[in-house]
Amino acid sequence: MAAEQDPDAALMLRVKQGDSGAFAHLVEKYKQPVINVIYRMLRDATEAEDVAQTVFIQVYKAAHRYEISSKFSTWLFTIARNLCLNELRRRSRHPADSMDIPHPERQDESWHQFEDKKVSSPPESMLHGELEQKIERALSDLPENQRMAITLCRQDELSYEEIAEVLGCSLSATKSLIHRGRETLKQRLKPYLNTGVWREEK
Amino acid sequence: MMTDPIFNRLREVSWRRKLTAGEEAELRAWLAEHPESLPDWEHEAALNEMLGRLPDAPLASNFTARVLQAVEREAAAGARGTEFARPRYRPWLRWLPRGAFAAIVAGAGLLAFHHHEQSLLRGQLVQSVATISDGASLPSPEILTDFDAIRVLNTPPADEQLLTLLK
Repeated sequence: MAAEQDPDAALMLRVKQGDSGAFAHLVEKYKQPVINVIYRMLRDATEAEDVAQTVFIQVYKAAHRYEISSKFSTWLFTIARNLCLNELRRRSRHPADSMDIPHPERQDESWHQFEDKKVSSPPESMLHGELEQKIERALSDLPENQRMAITLCRQDELSYEEIAEVLGCSLSATKSLIHRGRETLKQRLKPYLNTGVWREEK
Repeated sequence: MMTDPIFNRLREVSWRRKLTAGEEAELRAWLAEHPESLPDWEHEAALNEMLGRLPDAPLASNFTARVLQAVEREAAAGARGTEFARPRYRPWLRWLPRGAFAAIVAGAGLLAFHHHEQSLLRGQLVQSVATISDGASLPSPEILTDFDAIRVLNTPPADEQLLTLLK
């Protein structure tokens, strides 16, 4: 893909020459799309911002090796996906204590009374109504690959072929992941789909 | 899962973006011929709307500045690491290949000298064996034919007077 067809690739070539202004431009353009994907995977706003920062640092450090073989956004989201998976694997190796251990004196209460920041809603300012919470929860309960596929599908910058490249699977497998994830979401959100409440809350 | 190619194609397009006017018209025409598929399409459209309502993840207003600062710190740390690796802490490493080469040459020389010594020793041994072989060779039988005569000639005569006196 020539630099003239992908303006981001042209910027990245300038970053390769040491142009920090071009790098700042790319960060500004992609910071929100990248963190949207990461947040939906990790479900923790603070960690998502840390990982998003690491994504762009990796981009800068790898600039000298950058070649225009694929679209810049594809390369960028591939880095984001890999760092998300690393973080998820790290979490699975160091699981948190169970939240369900009953209190020794009050058996109807759990021992830990801390807010579940990992799965719980993002800051209240972000949410409007019960419906968004339901959608977020249903999305977070999907398997990682389906969740990633559906989240990437919402990115305007990526075609299905590019999403498949980010995920490292075929086009048909990618569409299958998206379809299966959406079918699960539709089942989980069926009451809302049928009642049309999502229209009313607009 | 709906298998109709038109439905599938338009559905997959709707997952990523809103349908264009032309695509909307194509969908309406298709649904008019397949009204049983209308609930499926409405659920797909509803889910698209719901996913579209999800807000952006929170992001610090100074995110870009923090990224640029982090990159500068990485670059500075990388430069310090390069200096640290200068010969100040590795002068002996520079001599390592030369020393290795000298050791190889010396070793080859010792090996050659030892080989030469061994060759000399073998040569001396061969000489010794040859000498002994030469000394231990038997005379030819012709010489032995006159042996008795020569032996008698060399034997001094008996002393008759002494023998008579001793009788």
